[in-house]
Amino acid sequence: MKEHKKTVIPSWGVVLMFAAAVLLLFSGSIGGARAALTYYSETYTSRVQMYDIGVTLLEQGEHDQEPKAVSWRNYDARADGTWDEAQEEKGYKRLLEGMLDEDAGESLKLGKTYREELKVQNTGTINQYVRVSIYRYWLDEDGNKLQTLSPELIDLHLVNLDTDWLEDTAINEVTRERTVLYYNKLLLSGEETPLFADSLTIDDSIAKKVSEQKVTEGGRTTITTTYDYDGVQFQIEVEVDAVQEHNAEDAVWSVWGRRVKVENNTLSLQ
Amino acid sequence: MKKRRYFLVVLALATIMTAGIGRAWAYFTTYAQAYGGKTIHLGDETEITESFSAETKHIQIASEAGSEPVYIRVKAFAGKDYTENGVIDHTPVGSGEDWTEQKADGFYYYVKPVEGGSSTSVLELKIPDLKGRENKDPLNVIVIYESTPVRYDENGDPVGYDGVDWNETLDRHEITAPVTPAAPGSGEGGSEG
Repeated sequence: MKEHKKTVIPSWGVVLMFAAAVLLLFSGSIGGARAALTYYSETYTSRVQMYDIGVTLLEQGEHDQEPKAVSWRNYDARADGTWDEAQEEKGYKRLLEGMLDEDAGESLKLGKTYREELKVQNTGTINQYVRVSIYRYWLDEDGNKLQTLSPELIDLHLVNLDTDWLEDTAINEVTRERTVLYYNKLLLSGEETPLFADSLTIDDSIAKKVSEQKVTEGGRTTITTTYDYDGVQFQIEVEVDAVQEHNAEDAVWSVWGRRVKVENNTLSLQ
Repeated sequence: MKKRRYFLVVLALATIMTAGIGRAWAYFTTYAQAYGGKTIHLGDETEITESFSAETKHIQIASEAGSEPVYIRVKAFAGKDYTENGVIDHTPVGSGEDWTEQKADGFYYYVKPVEGGSSTSVLELKIPDLKGRENKDPLNVIVIYESTPVRYDENGDPVGYDGVDWNETLDRHEITAPVTPAAPGSGEGGSEG
């Protein structure tokens, strides 16, 4: 029986592409190799500066004596890949805890302007650019979001707009629920931004919004009136994002998906 | 042969794409999140207690526990034999503390917000000139009362009873409910709301 053997020879194009891929793969590791220590002396002493990023949200509510850290995430100084992060089970990551003195039986008053001061602190060792995303919405008793109730009636009063914080109108026009603010300056390590919000008011017009249900039974019509906002919970959610100072334009575009311009440590939206 | 060529092309593309991942990961970023809210309690339930003695009507209104604070106003009517225009125009007597004199609209106003679980003081209305008239109709005093939620200014201070819009209309919208057919043999229906 005659055996027929056939040799497969890939085309030059495929070979070239594969070679290019292998070359790219190897060149990708060159950066890491460059970082290796190439010289040291036994008598040489140095001070090691770690490049850790960290950010903290600060809040001072109506009954808080001073601003307090409510949420943070700082790269651990040991640089072992761990983060020092606010733990919800320890009572952090909670806003509006100081809004009412509930132990004294204080209840929410519609129309009252409550102090709700919010700002950001750079708790890392490198300078950074920050942005803040604010979400306002309503939840029912089971924690489900109520799309039909209006976020505008949760009035978190924003301050220092244009002078320090830039409102991303491109996003804010799309959704009533989300507001995005960019701090327009470089936030130095250890420093705090000016406030981006100073008060919170729940519009008292919610007390006028009612639903009527007519039920006809046995030829008799019963009209039941219920408050639309009774038993629902308003919710404020704040998310702070921070990104490195170096190569900030590319970093912001890559991480936040937003084109910005950075000149002389001043950020502007494009 | 064709399969092997595809394999090489896919492998090459995957290699090129993964080469770029390292750059995206290279940026220092972090974030912090927090959230919170409060539950809204709206609505009130009030109940009136009335009694009559010594030609005086005693009126007290209680607000149920859990109700939001309300303002209350009261008007009393009697037959024409006891008043000039059907409205009892006597000022409160006795322990009518925190009740106003009768206003031009015929109402007596309780000036303090009535918190859930508390009551107004007793409003006492003396029926005028009971014995001075002949051929009187039987005495029948009708009391109506209205309540409206307390409003607050930006400092959290209650807007006074005289600053509240007692004629404010609610922003109603109707929700549909299944219609239950009339029971056989039922008569003409009325309506109530």
